[in-house]
Amino acid sequence: MFYQQMINGLMLGASYSLVAIGYTLIFGVLNLLYFAHGEVFMVGAFVGLFLVLYAGTNIYVALFGAMIACAILGAFAFFVAVRPVPKDRPLAPLISTIGLTIVLQNLAIYVFGGQQMAFPETIHQALYHLGPITISSVQIFILGVALALMVALWLFIERTKLGRAMRAVAENHETAALLGVNVNRVVLITFIIGSGIAGIAGVLDGLKNSSVSPFMGLGAAVKGLIVMLLGGLGNVPGAMVAGLLLGMIEILSAAYIGTTERDFFSFLILILILLYRPTGLFGTRTAEQR
Amino acid sequence: MFSGLIDNYTQSVLIFAGIHVIAAYSFFAPFKTGQVSLGQAGFMGIGAYASAILTQKMGLPFAVALPFGGLVAGIVGIVVGFPALRIKGVYLLLLTLGFSEIVQVVILSWDYTGGAQGFRNIPFNPNTFEWCIGLIVLLMIFFARLERSSLGRAMDAIEQDETAAEVMGIDVVRIKLLAFGIGAAIAGVAGALFAHHTTYVDSTTFNILLAVEILTYVVVGGGSTFWGPALGAFVLTLLPEFLRTLRDYLELVPTEWTDSFPINRIYDFLYGFLDFENAKRLIAYGLILMAMMIVRPDGLLTRDSMRWASFARWRNSRD
Repeated sequence: MFYQQMINGLMLGASYSLVAIGYTLIFGVLNLLYFAHGEVFMVGAFVGLFLVLYAGTNIYVALFGAMIACAILGAFAFFVAVRPVPKDRPLAPLISTIGLTIVLQNLAIYVFGGQQMAFPETIHQALYHLGPITISSVQIFILGVALALMVALWLFIERTKLGRAMRAVAENHETAALLGVNVNRVVLITFIIGSGIAGIAGVLDGLKNSSVSPFMGLGAAVKGLIVMLLGGLGNVPGAMVAGLLLGMIEILSAAYIGTTERDFFSFLILILILLYRPTGLFGTRTAEQR
Repeated sequence: MFSGLIDNYTQSVLIFAGIHVIAAYSFFAPFKTGQVSLGQAGFMGIGAYASAILTQKMGLPFAVALPFGGLVAGIVGIVVGFPALRIKGVYLLLLTLGFSEIVQVVILSWDYTGGAQGFRNIPFNPNTFEWCIGLIVLLMIFFARLERSSLGRAMDAIEQDETAAEVMGIDVVRIKLLAFGIGAAIAGVAGALFAHHTTYVDSTTFNILLAVEILTYVVVGGGSTFWGPALGAFVLTLLPEFLRTLRDYLELVPTEWTDSFPINRIYDFLYGFLDFENAKRLIAYGLILMAMMIVRPDGLLTRDSMRWASFARWRNSRD
């Protein structure tokens, strides 16, 4: 039972991680709370659903399509809601991305209707037994894609030139610019990468819950924020580990304490982290120290 | 008092606008010291439940319950404000957001007030409209006086630079706590008004979206003067209602202007779009928010615009 719950927690945590990675990347390079990220996640889920349902593609194409669509959406969001807004006022970009959140959510309600839509079964269902654990093929698929994506992203950030440029911009805009990094381009690429990952996360979430709804974005956005803090602002590996951790904490508290207390625990953790360890579990610098 | 002047629909819209104005002021008080709080929804929830327990469970009159709601919320505000002193910026935003969420969870699991079924049969207060007007007038006088008082100046100083303010001899801790507590108390009053107007509240009534809306009112209205929160809450609450009537204005455009090629397509699109079911109205609302932040990132009213509209300028320009 316990191990089974651990697997469920990992499943939940994987989608938290993927959303939080986008947040933490964007927060890292721009130092701003980008509220619309949850809705990008939701749009990704719908794009995946429509590719599977109406274009009849397999799940890999759907994942890829959702990634591309969300990457474009992320670039669009950057140009309409982030770039034109003055950066020296901390609340203005927050409000403009809230505006974008409202637009995207209601666009989805307008186009698809306000109800949940079922996500079709696209993967052959099979159950595998590993000692005390039962794991389905869908779960293996989701975990596999999420982990592969995280490893790929980690390698990208640590090993490539562009990844190094992203880290430099996150460190300090002016210094990065002096060293010949095109800051605007790097910020745009960060939005594209973070949003693309959120798109994949949306499809995986649709697969996991077998349903997609226009309201799935807000919850994902809030949990993503908690994970971002837990891992340390701007810390990508931190966000990965913290997402899995939060997923497990939620599932275990739901299983052993009660389902209404589940959210209580995640927010309690948020508050404790904020008060006693604002650098996150894995110790990066706080926003003030940047 | 005003029942003969305006119809019920207008009055109900205005009541919600009034409650939003009060909620906007609750955000404005800590905001003056640079504290950005998404906890105002939680404080509204506390005020709503505390006051409704007095009226519904104990049968006390509304006039007693309203200040009690504010008081309870204010005390909780000071308790929450203490740890909140240590952090600022994004961290404070998230801390207060977490607080709002925790209030929701507590409401959800508290069986005494109905738990997940919600708090039903709260006595209806027929005079909410008058209460709103009275409270808004009081709040505006309070904040207008505050702007020119030593406390208000101290708040401005803390917002500009906390360390410098402390060096100047301002008791930063006390003033920030006070501002947070006052804000929470005002939010509690707004929640009490809300609960006794709708007669039903549950855990989802005071959600994050409400907290974000309250923040939006102040930023859009302008957070640097006391006119801003009232204007922002008023405009943004009435905006969807205004958008509803926009189609009537479109019909006034003469047909000969709109029957040639590119314009007729635009006209048809607008006309189709402006039937404004809820989702479309909110899309327009979101677009307006985005445009606002690009055009006027400091809000509709800033200190400069208040100076521009001031009496002294008008008087001086006459001679």
